[in-house]
Amino acid sequence: MKHDLAELLPFYLNGTLEAADRARVEAELATCPECSAELGDLRALAENLRARAASMQQPQMLLASTFAQLTPEPTLATRLRTAWWSAPARYATAAVLVASVSAGAVAAWQFREAADRDARFGQSNAVAYVTRSSAPHAAADELARNMPAGKSAPRTVGAAASIAQSHRLARTATLSLIVRDAEASRTRAADVTAALGGVVTALTDEGSVSPGDVHEVHLTIEVAAARLDDALDRLAQLGAVQRREVDAEDLDASLVDQDARLRNLRREEGALRELMDKRGSVDEILTVEQKLSDVRGGIEELDAQYQHDLHRVATSTITLTLTEDHARAAPPRPGPTARIDGAWQSGVRALADTVVALLSLLAWSVAFSPVLLGAAGLAYLAKRSLGRLRPTSS
Amino acid sequence: MTDAEDRALLERIAKRDRLAFETFFGAHGTDVYRFVRDQVRDDGLAEELTSDVMVEVWRGAGRFAGRSRVRTWVFGIAHHKAIDALRRTRVRTIPLDELADQPSAAAGPETEALQAADRRQLEAALASLSAEHRAVLELTYVGGFSQKEIAEIVGCPAATVKTRAFYAKGRLRDALGKAELPR
Repeated sequence: MKHDLAELLPFYLNGTLEAADRARVEAELATCPECSAELGDLRALAENLRARAASMQQPQMLLASTFAQLTPEPTLATRLRTAWWSAPARYATAAVLVASVSAGAVAAWQFREAADRDARFGQSNAVAYVTRSSAPHAAADELARNMPAGKSAPRTVGAAASIAQSHRLARTATLSLIVRDAEASRTRAADVTAALGGVVTALTDEGSVSPGDVHEVHLTIEVAAARLDDALDRLAQLGAVQRREVDAEDLDASLVDQDARLRNLRREEGALRELMDKRGSVDEILTVEQKLSDVRGGIEELDAQYQHDLHRVATSTITLTLTEDHARAAPPRPGPTARIDGAWQSGVRALADTVVALLSLLAWSVAFSPVLLGAAGLAYLAKRSLGRLRPTSS
Repeated sequence: MTDAEDRALLERIAKRDRLAFETFFGAHGTDVYRFVRDQVRDDGLAEELTSDVMVEVWRGAGRFAGRSRVRTWVFGIAHHKAIDALRRTRVRTIPLDELADQPSAAAGPETEALQAADRRQLEAALASLSAEHRAVLELTYVGGFSQKEIAEIVGCPAATVKTRAFYAKGRLRDALGKAELPR
């Protein structure tokens, strides 16, 4: 095969070759068995690399730690600094005094507010972090699989997870919402699910055919068990909540029992295999073989149930119903505290903006003071000379 | 996720929509993590770099010029971060015989047990390649990027990408010590 064509094969395989090159490669492939073999080779390589890729997952808590790094909105202090130092007024020392006094007062106030807000934000972040770090789907699965029955979860896992793990609850939830636009909310719900690392496993959209019909969408969502509450909170924001229920089934006793039975069966299987290796009569061998097959069947059945139960512990199912109703879907009015808080915040923002504007104006007038003073001087001189001229002319 | 969807998300991210960012992270985080991890071969560093790439997306979403696909842009950022990190840490290429006894980084669940031996070989062979060769293999066969896009991501002429992809595959085959790749 020609070297330049061989170099094109990887891109022929991934379907990104331009038409002319594709045609050249195809013509060559049609006549050259060596080239087809090479392509087969590449295909195997691609499959292997993709299978390897599929088994590599990013750590779940990465999103939380990335969120923590996102730039916060600029604080008043930053805005003041920017407005102040970028203005020509940096040369006017007199104004600095005035500015620092006023900015100092406001900034101190703002700092206190920012500290309060940071404390609040930090707290909520910390909560999110714990939820996420204790929630990774694969990790929870893995943990559940590796954890011998009756033992408590390792210390490294958050307290919440260790409680959930020691109780091993299978949690399911039902959430019914009245929404303004079922279609849009469905997309939003899928977004929320994806963001939480979950999947939508079933979807029924009963669209309205005639005007009287109710547009209803049913979704079945699976999320990592420890993210259930987080998921419910976020989904609940999509509309007015009609019903929110969480059920929990304690599978711990059953899992411990299954685990013990599995171990016994596996021990029995091992013993039977040893017996098989020792030579005996045909009858004996047949009996042992029959017994072994029964035990094997039992193990498989029990193991399937065991894995299924572990999966139910590791993931929670949410049944979400979105009902479209324009009239009833009005977003809830914020409570009095939220409204007072909102008014307070906008008041503070307005005050801050005014201070920034005033300081900028002051800075500009100080910077332009030579011009203004010059103009005033000229006007004064002009007025004086006019005053002197008037008596002589009269 | 299509490029149009990516662009829509990027527009929302530029307006500081955190949900859009989460969705974007969900769609591309793993791919970026895998790509940089293959370059630097260090889980912790790869996490750090993935975070850095995504923070860069958050900050630069408004500046995305739209000349390429969003994925190409993101992988370009990822490649730069990985190369910088490699320069800083000088992560070395591990000789094949040293890797022979190491557990596979991609040890999958039980169902994949049968493939584990092949996977381990592949892992060892990949580790013996240079970061450039691993990058081009990942971008071509897993990422599905075109020659031109890879050139843009790794910052080299398109002709070099072609040659690199060809030799990377040759090296991998040599490293696997077989006439044929595992099927």
